[in-house]
Amino acid sequence: MSATALPQDNAGLRAHRTGPIETFKYDNHVVRAFAIATALWGLIGTSAGLLAACQLFWPQLNLDTPFTTFGRIRPLHTNAVIFAFVGNGMFCGIYYSLQRLCKARMFSDLLSWINFWGWQAIIVGAAITLPLGLTTSKEYAELEWPIDIAIAVIWVAFTINLLGTIARRREKHMYVAIWFYIATAITVAILHIFNSLEVPASAFKSYSIYAGVQDALVQWWYGHNAVAFFLTTPYLGMMYYFLPKAANRPVFSYRLSIIHFWGLIFIYIWAGPHHLLYTALPDWAQSLGMVFSIMLVAPSWGGMLNGLLTLRGAWDKVRQEPMLKFMVVAVTAYGMATLEGPMLAIKSVNALSHYTDWTIAHVHTGALGWNGFLTFSLLYWLVPRLYNTKLWSVKLANYHFWIGLLGMMFYVVPLYTSGVTQGLMWKQFTSDGFLQYPNFLETVIRLIPMHQLRAVGGTLYITGIVLMIINLHRTMKAGRFIGDEEDQAPALNPAASRESMKLGHRWLEGVPVTFTVLTTVAVVIGGLIEIVPMFLIKENVPTIASVKPYTPLECLGRDVYIREGCVGCHSQMVRPFRSETERYGEYSKAGEFVYDHPFLWGSKRTGPDLHRVGGKYPDAWHFNHMENPRNTSPGSIMPSYPWLLSQRLDTTVVGVRLRALRRVGVPYTDDDILNAPQSIDAQSKKIVTALAGQSITNAPPDREIIAIIAYLQRLGTDIKSMPTNAPAAAVAASLNHNQPQP
Amino acid sequence: MIQNVLRNFTGIDTFGIVSLCLFVSVFTGAIIWTMLQKKSHLDAMARVPLDPVPDPAPLSHLQPTLPLNPGEHHE
Repeated sequence: MSATALPQDNAGLRAHRTGPIETFKYDNHVVRAFAIATALWGLIGTSAGLLAACQLFWPQLNLDTPFTTFGRIRPLHTNAVIFAFVGNGMFCGIYYSLQRLCKARMFSDLLSWINFWGWQAIIVGAAITLPLGLTTSKEYAELEWPIDIAIAVIWVAFTINLLGTIARRREKHMYVAIWFYIATAITVAILHIFNSLEVPASAFKSYSIYAGVQDALVQWWYGHNAVAFFLTTPYLGMMYYFLPKAANRPVFSYRLSIIHFWGLIFIYIWAGPHHLLYTALPDWAQSLGMVFSIMLVAPSWGGMLNGLLTLRGAWDKVRQEPMLKFMVVAVTAYGMATLEGPMLAIKSVNALSHYTDWTIAHVHTGALGWNGFLTFSLLYWLVPRLYNTKLWSVKLANYHFWIGLLGMMFYVVPLYTSGVTQGLMWKQFTSDGFLQYPNFLETVIRLIPMHQLRAVGGTLYITGIVLMIINLHRTMKAGRFIGDEEDQAPALNPAASRESMKLGHRWLEGVPVTFTVLTTVAVVIGGLIEIVPMFLIKENVPTIASVKPYTPLECLGRDVYIREGCVGCHSQMVRPFRSETERYGEYSKAGEFVYDHPFLWGSKRTGPDLHRVGGKYPDAWHFNHMENPRNTSPGSIMPSYPWLLSQRLDTTVVGVRLRALRRVGVPYTDDDILNAPQSIDAQSKKIVTALAGQSITNAPPDREIIAIIAYLQRLGTDIKSMPTNAPAAAVAASLNHNQPQP
Repeated sequence: MIQNVLRNFTGIDTFGIVSLCLFVSVFTGAIIWTMLQKKSHLDAMARVPLDPVPDPAPLSHLQPTLPLNPGEHHE
């Protein structure tokens, strides 16, 4: 130990740095592991996305096998990009920056490696189970219950490691990046646990404990805040660390960063219901979601401006340094996405944009721009430093930047065009008051050129990633890896560290436990105010007497629908617009979904809404359509499902599934469960007879196609069976919250 | 009892106003709280990620800035 000159800062901070100088080593091994995983999963995740994008104009790429259809590839893509690419990038950035900000090695090397290998195992588990159709169908939470448990365990390991490191820090006050990391750890745990509450029916099949409207609210409370606390807050923390490092100047305004942090984490959690505008969700919850989404612009733009203004006087560096170029575009994309998001949350804008490609364009401005470019920036900065060398080729990194930026533009601009086109075509009436484009397929075909351009953008973006991997690999080969990087810092002086409790933010920055508790309170308030009343106030979900649980065959058909990922392209939520009621039929009511575990409202209409599809077409139409959609709908881009015609329906599971559904609240009686096989036989024979009457004489009664026909023909039909004198009272009660729009 | 109160809660439409007031209070409180911070502390905290000695060559295409310490573990 030796006396070392301390950094020149204020007297307050110096007072805590009067302990003996300690020498310690940062763990770069785990940082490198996460960096490599980030790059590789980034390539895989975006490639899966490119395949899904191409399937939307080239349906033969579905390959007519269950494992490669769009319905299964899409969740594979989203999970790979969110949890594998961004997840590993987040851990990489946190493990590097946290150690340096705390002037301490990670709390436990063992926990670091459990975090790393556990996370990779979860990703591999997802990559195996999703193509197999093992899914809960809840967006960004598709993984089945054993993997959900594994995620919780690994997340706890990460959180202990994070908080343990903070506890061992040699800096008295926690820097702003650490606050964002704490918020991430706590909130993701809360979101994941509450959204994943489900009752298992088998090793890889479960039913959400929530139904219909309540399930929708919990899911989008989770879904929106997964964006907030998995894709945003850790990356903001990384921005606050790596941007000042790269620009070699302090953040523009530390005061603004405090407002940014508290404003963001307090507001974000309320905004989830903006994903459910004009649905059967009660109006008060929709309004809350909309208003808080608009408020979210303030802290988000505060953060963006804080990032960009950090570069004041250093823009010459941006010209020379690819890392800073990526960072500037990332922060700008964050600003664009966080302005666009609240705009899309305004009900009148949402009426046009929702279910269209506009949402996909919005998401990808954030994913490709904010998360992607910030991750590339991080990797270009980190790898040369981990290997104590210079970047192998700055020129190649610049090529990556421009190709990636071009790819992003080619991705989002056609999709914005596509989204607006789609929304306008769905709503267009003729001067005589009829739908201008009554056949949904007309819009699908109109969008194909835009989807092709989007694939060009995706290809460019992936090309950039390949260039980055080559560049980073050559950089690694050229340098020598510093696994344990030595540093020195004075120990915290316990006497000087005991700051009087003045209740100022400065005091709070020095007390991690109190800080964590306050953060938890801030994020929990919004969730409680929105979710608790939804479960307890009866008027939120008025029951409709004619709505009954699915028959056993319909229930199995619904499970097939979930397995095939149909919800990725078809909504089951007719909104109260004339353009929708004309096209689909009566708009959807909250009381119609009380037995839907999980809800299947969807968030995108690549194909038409299906909530009122029951009875719309004969059974034979569905049979032919599933075998090859082009048989009934020339030009359709829907995958073929020939295996549904040949695969035998597994009826042995019906008992256990009905019992699991009963456990979550569906009122199946013992007799229903006992007589389920006979019920399946009877309903199957009825469908086969109907098919025979419609010239399909070879339909075997024990195939999956029969179950899915049963389910589709049931959809949305329950309220049609209401007594004619009853609807006024029963339906009116359920309509209170979403009156039809002119 | 609380459950009973909530089950029969009729003024759910006021939730929007209550939430708005809550938000405005928290946001205003946070701004005031922040304004009370000493500038010297904020300036010092803002410099925490930076190296004590300015990075002589921060650009990735120049020479690395990490010193090679004797006895350091290399691979």
